[in-house]
Amino acid sequence: MKLLEFEAKEIFKKNGIPIPDGVVIRSPDELRRHLNGFTDEVVVKSQVDVGGRGKAGGIIVTPKAEAVDAATHLFSFPIKGLIPKAILVEEKLPIDHEYYVSITIDRTTRQPMILFAETGGVDIEETARTRPDALRRAGFSPLLSDVPGFLMREILGGAPKELGPVINNLYRAFCASDALLAEINPLVTTSRGVYAADAKLIVDDNALKRQGITSNRDLTPREREAEENGFSYVELEGSIGVIGNGAGLTMSTLDLIAHYNGKAANFLDVGGGAGRERVMKAVRLVAGMPDVKVIVVNLLGGITRCDEVARGIIDAGIDQQVITRLAGTNEEEGRALLAKNGYKMLDTMEDVVKEAVREAAA
Amino acid sequence: MIYGDHTTGVIVQGATGNQGAFHINLMNQYAQETGGRGVVAGVTPGKGGQTVHGVPVYNSIREAMAEHDVTTSVLFVPGFAAGDSIMEAASAGLELVTAITEGIPVHDTMRALAFARMEGCTVIGPNCPGTLSPGELKLGIMPPHLAMPGNVGIISRSGTLTYEVINELTRAGIGQSTVVGIGGDPVIGQTFTEVLERFESDSQTKAVVLIGEVGGNLEEEGATSTNLPLVSYIAGVSAPPEKRMGHAGAIIEGGEGDAVSKIARLSRLGIPVAGKPSDIPALVRELL
Repeated sequence: MKLLEFEAKEIFKKNGIPIPDGVVIRSPDELRRHLNGFTDEVVVKSQVDVGGRGKAGGIIVTPKAEAVDAATHLFSFPIKGLIPKAILVEEKLPIDHEYYVSITIDRTTRQPMILFAETGGVDIEETARTRPDALRRAGFSPLLSDVPGFLMREILGGAPKELGPVINNLYRAFCASDALLAEINPLVTTSRGVYAADAKLIVDDNALKRQGITSNRDLTPREREAEENGFSYVELEGSIGVIGNGAGLTMSTLDLIAHYNGKAANFLDVGGGAGRERVMKAVRLVAGMPDVKVIVVNLLGGITRCDEVARGIIDAGIDQQVITRLAGTNEEEGRALLAKNGYKMLDTMEDVVKEAVREAAA
Repeated sequence: MIYGDHTTGVIVQGATGNQGAFHINLMNQYAQETGGRGVVAGVTPGKGGQTVHGVPVYNSIREAMAEHDVTTSVLFVPGFAAGDSIMEAASAGLELVTAITEGIPVHDTMRALAFARMEGCTVIGPNCPGTLSPGELKLGIMPPHLAMPGNVGIISRSGTLTYEVINELTRAGIGQSTVVGIGGDPVIGQTFTEVLERFESDSQTKAVVLIGEVGGNLEEEGATSTNLPLVSYIAGVSAPPEKRMGHAGAIIEGGEGDAVSKIARLSRLGIPVAGKPSDIPALVRELL
């Protein structure tokens, strides 16, 4: 889960990374009480989970006298459709130079990887294109609790040494918060020292519980329902509902729909060993999407009981047609149950997909 | 048989949980059918002395190893404790751990894998269905009756999609040497590259099917690392960017790891890429 900038900065601060003085406000009025704490200019930053906020007009540098107006504007200014619930107001730093630093997990080496650039404040992809010479990366063993000194020297090259302790603290924050990505862009030097002017932190969904983080995502009611039921669920824009077991098989079913020129309405992985009730809930959930005309159920597994799945489909009792492909125990019983209740069950995933595409087009 | 054969003795870690107990039973049914040793011991800390489907349970791997001749474990321990259990197995001297568990925090996986490597222990998974050498050995949860012995290896990031491909191959009369589910997490022990290395020294395997999906570039890395004849299939051509498609590792991030460019890179390497799972058998047949 991606944290908002101010949440990431709180974690950075706890790990000894200097951040600009600032306040988080939930309404423009709140800012009036805090304005005395600022001198001259402030930076007013919309707290939405969107990349490219600055370019989109979500960050305003302004004299403090006009800060409340800027905040009022940002509270009702949508960025890629999102309205902020909070705004971060910070002192404007006297910046000498901007750098880039991030730590990720490299899938190939299975290690933390530090990426550093002598130029910050712009997209790292852009730096990679325009100034590849300014980029340096280094991986090291995840069993180390600090970045080894020799690697830090390699990463920094000619950049100021005082960046080193901040980057090391970023690594500590990365580990302590179970992060998939910890990024400071820009990391700035000023006459007063080094600061993280921005902060990005993506926390591993598998570690949210032990991190004590509750989801801050704005879920649609259906996404929330899916999450509560433990389904992996992604909404798309077509008219063919999809329910599968296993991420790969479900993805493959979507691909097959596209292959036969159909449009899938969603991705829903019910997980292993789905029984009657789970299947019923999944079918009702997908049937509740307004554009769904027909639903494909593609379940394959040694331990899935086809009669249970058939009962779940029948229990759901939805208006749209459900076309099923099942392989597992009690296949015959499942098929008979579905047939008796007027549902189609076919032998291969290609057959169910073709049939569904035909039905959706009809 | 790249991870063991019917003589391999197996420990199940997390033996007394629902999943562990259920699959001890299924693994031992298969061992009985194929004349294998199967699961000879279970481990759950604090539950030593119990039995699960006739299999004795111990408090630790070391205790189990003192009583049984075993080299490998299959792990069903819950996510929050699984990293630790991998390290326990490695430290006790097991050669291979197959981690079925889904939902292990990736930092735990990363540290456990680094530790296991130092101890000389191979890890498959996590978040995987395990491996199956038809007629010889089942380590994990794959339904074995779709498979039949033969000369084609399968390496896959998925579970049920793998069963789909096994099913297609078997129906086409093409048997499998070993099927390896390497797992759907972003950080995994055995990658395509490492499994292919084992297949290269396996005289039974004549060709390999790589089943990949969106996220990362482990498929392409594997494909460039081997001289074995390969066929590939990549799931997720229709996956939208920046959305996690079920697997923790199945995500197109920062414009990287999408299926179309994966397929293009594999094709440039001269590897036939199936447009759908049912096209795989015909492509494999051309290689044999």
